[in-house]
Order: sequence, then C-alpha cells, then structure tokens
Amino acid sequence: MATDKKYTTVSLPTPLFEKIQEKIKGTGFTSVSDYVTFVLREILTHGSEQEAFNAEDEKKVKDRLRSLGYLD
Amino acid sequence: MRVAVIGLDCAAPDLIFNKLKGDLPVLSRMTSEGISGKLRSSDPPITVPAWMVMSTGRSPGELGLYGFRSRIPNSYNGIKIPTSSDIKFDTVWDILGKRNKKSIIIAVPPSYPPKPIPGLMVSDFLTPGKDKEFTYPPGLKNEILRDFPDYQFDVKFRKPEKKQIIDEIYKMTDTRFKMAEKMLKEKEWDFFFMVEIGIDRIHHAFWRYIDQESHLYEDDKEMRGKFISYFKMVDTHIGKMLDEFDEDTVVLVVSDHGAKHMKGAFAINQWLIKEGYLKLKSPIKKAGVSLEDLDVDWAHTKAWAWGGYYARVFLNIKGREPEGLIEKGNVRSELETLKEKLKSIKGPHGEQWNTKVFEPEEVYPVVNGDRSDLFVYLDDLSWRTAGTLGYDTDYLLENDTGPDDAVHDYDGIYIMYRKNKKIGKVIDSNIYRIAPTILELYRVRKKYGIKGEPLEGTEYVE
Repeated sequence: MATDKKYTTVSLPTPLFEKIQEKIKGTGFTSVSDYVTFVLREILTHGSEQEAFNAEDEKKVKDRLRSLGYLD
Repeated sequence: MRVAVIGLDCAAPDLIFNKLKGDLPVLSRMTSEGISGKLRSSDPPITVPAWMVMSTGRSPGELGLYGFRSRIPNSYNGIKIPTSSDIKFDTVWDILGKRNKKSIIIAVPPSYPPKPIPGLMVSDFLTPGKDKEFTYPPGLKNEILRDFPDYQFDVKFRKPEKKQIIDEIYKMTDTRFKMAEKMLKEKEWDFFFMVEIGIDRIHHAFWRYIDQESHLYEDDKEMRGKFISYFKMVDTHIGKMLDEFDEDTVVLVVSDHGAKHMKGAFAINQWLIKEGYLKLKSPIKKAGVSLEDLDVDWAHTKAWAWGGYYARVFLNIKGREPEGLIEKGNVRSELETLKEKLKSIKGPHGEQWNTKVFEPEEVYPVVNGDRSDLFVYLDDLSWRTAGTLGYDTDYLLENDTGPDDAVHDYDGIYIMYRKNKKIGKVIDSNIYRIAPTILELYRVRKKYGIKGEPLEGTEYVE
C-alpha cells in the first residue's frame, strides 16, 4: 500500500519539471523532488493556519459588523 | 467563451435603470443592448447569504447560511461569523476549476480565508485586516499592496463626518476597480467575478440625499452631486473593463439585493418583554444595551430576537436550549400565536404595517445549520430591527448603531451583455438563475447537474 511507503510518485508536466531543474541549479536543492516537497509544505502550512478566524480576528470582524449594523 | 461577473452590492433597479440612467452612459448602453431586469434576491435579501446563493445556485437553507452570524447550536449568546470554510457546496469557479478553467475572484462574500483555486482570489470585506493572508496564491498579496498600498476591504460609514466618508468610499471603490482592471489585463483568466461593496455603503450612508420620500431627506446639492459622481466613477470603470473584453466575453452586471429608505428601527426585544415572552432578572440601566450584556431570566423566557435588516426570533424550547421553557408539544401553538402577534405590530402612529413572518421550512426545501424559529420582515423590510434595549420607545427613527438611511429591498439588478449583440430585452428574474446561467455559458450546466434554469434569453448571448 502506498501509505506504508516513505515516498510516492506524482506526475509533473515535463516542461514544468525542466523549468524547476533550471531554477534550482546552484541552489541548496539537490533535486526537483526536494524543491517540490519544500514548496508544497510551505503552501499547505499556510493553508492550515488559515482554517478560520482566531479569537482576535473574530472580535475584529464582529466589531466591524456591529458598526455596520448587521449585528445588534 | 468567457464570462465576467461585475457585482455591485446593493445596486437598486430604480436608481440604475431610472433615476441615474442619464448619468451612466455605459450601464445604459449595456441595458439597451443586452438583457436586463430586476433580480429577486434570496430570503433573507442580505449580502451573506445572497452572493453565495448567486455563486452556488443553492438556497440559504441548503447553505445553512442565514446572515452575517450563525448561532452556535442551541446556545443563548454564542455566535459565529461565517467564513469561506462554511461554504460546503461548489461555487461556479470551483466547478469551472475542475474543468481547468482559471478564475479571478475578487471580494465575493464570504471569501476569507481565501481558498486555493486554479487562478487568483482576493478575499472580501470580512477579512480581519491587511496583515492577514488575504489572497490565493499568498504571493499575490505583496503584488497588490505594492501596486495599491491604499487597498481597502471596507469603510466604516456609521459616523457623522459625511463628506469624509463619501471620499473614503470613492477611493476604496476606485482602487478596487483599478486593481481588478490590472489583473484582467495582466493575468490569465477564463472566468472573472468581482464584488464591489462600496455601493451598499453609499446607499446606507447617503440615501437621504436622493430620496425625497425618506423622513431624513436633505436637499443638499453638494452631497447629491457626490453621490452621483460616485456612480459615474463606477460606470466609467465598467466601461474600461468592457474595452478589455473581446466579443466572446459575456458580461453580467448583478446585485445581491436592492435598497429603499429606512423608516426606522423597531426595538423588538423591548416588545418581547412587554408581550411577556422575554424576562430579565435586573432592570436595564442604559439605552442601547445588547441582550447579551443583560441578566436574562432564561428559565422564564419563551423567546428572544436578533436585530439587523431583518429579525430572527428564537423560541426557548425544553430539551433544545439549556434552560428551555416551551414543551415540545406546545411549540406549534406558540409559534402560531407569536406569528400573529408579530404581524399585528403597528407603526408609531398606529398605522398598519405589512410585516412578513415565516418559518425557514416554509421557504427552503432543505434547512441546514442552526436557524432561528422565525424570520421577520417588519413592514416589508422598511423598518429594520434593533436587538438592543433600554429606549423610551420601541420606535427609533435613527438606527440604534449609528446613522443609517437605507434598508434592504428584495429586488437587485442584472444586465447580461455581449459586445456586438443587440438584444434589448427587459425580463425580470431571480438570483437562483445566475449560477445556472454561468455554467450554461461554459456548456457544463447539464453535465454538472445544477438545479435551476439559466436566465431567460441566455441563448441570445451564446
């Protein structure tokens, strides 16, 4: 089963693969896989922090909605 | 074929098609050459949920979205502000995205936090602040703030400095359109949908300068001039967008609801106290206090309400609310009695009101999420409701939360237009037809199986 393996394969369009290969030349990234993993982790971490409002955000938005007359 | 939706929050048919017609050459041309009419909003006719009804083709009942707040199930004071995470159905851009169509989505409520889509998304006025990630992809935010450092999600309009507010709204709208125009020019897109909230703010803050029927009417040439200049600016921007669009782009100008002058605000929780439905443990010490700040005697309370442009009334039911009073077997009779009492509320001078009261199940085929037991449109929405208490009278001629001139009306607008197609038809329609129209134009409506029909006459622009 794929879940038992440490790594699995995804497909990238060849021109994109080549673009990444070019981009990481001379950088700390040793392979396209390394780079893609890094970028995806970054994006997904961002995403999970963004699930909804934290308490402070919710208060900010509530205060604004109250001043707009939507909550009273 | 591409579709571009330009959403003008609160744009009202009588203003766009009639009173301001001569001042708006672009919208007037689109109206005379395209298909246009009134667009009946959802129930309730409120920004949230109306834009999502338009974007998904689903009712507020299905979406489980009845306004700018949702009750934390069965609680007395727990509320939650809807976010993009609460939208459990595919929007038209989600459906198009699955078919490799790239979208540019700007400020469609509620869209914070922005969701990943094939394309670009900027979140709406419910975004907590510019310090947050308000775009997808995240890097787009830096680009926007570099090019448009003054970009604003919204303005605060309930303050007395009228001239300052109108200038702020003008600047906010002008900037958002400039940003949208830049994105249309520079980015790759197959579908475009933006919402401009400034029109709604202008209506609420400045309706008194253009409607002689309003009890707040002021004959102020300068302010009226500023009001009209604002709409001319919007019209000019739409003209610039049309210049960008090719002959294969269908343009939809739409609004989520309309507007009319506010007659006043009715303090509904005070009324519920007088009618014996709501009990407090201690007296109210100051005017304008919220129910959540009072010591409510829940064990002896039968009903309480939330205010806003419509009222939501909750029954205190045994087994549902923490200190429920009404036995389950009596809910029906209590509902019927309360409905009749609400409908018989008269105006401040004893005049008859045309109040509409309904249960969610009466208007939605499916009812999801925590909803109030009754929805109330006081005097057909002309009176808004104040949930706050402590006033000498139940009838407040000004809004309880600061100056406000307008309430919502059922009918918004739509104009469907394509360059070089001369159609010139007026057909009134409803908000549930917008999502099917968009999908029909991309030829995916039947494959996706969305409920509802496209706007009548869609075939003329295909």
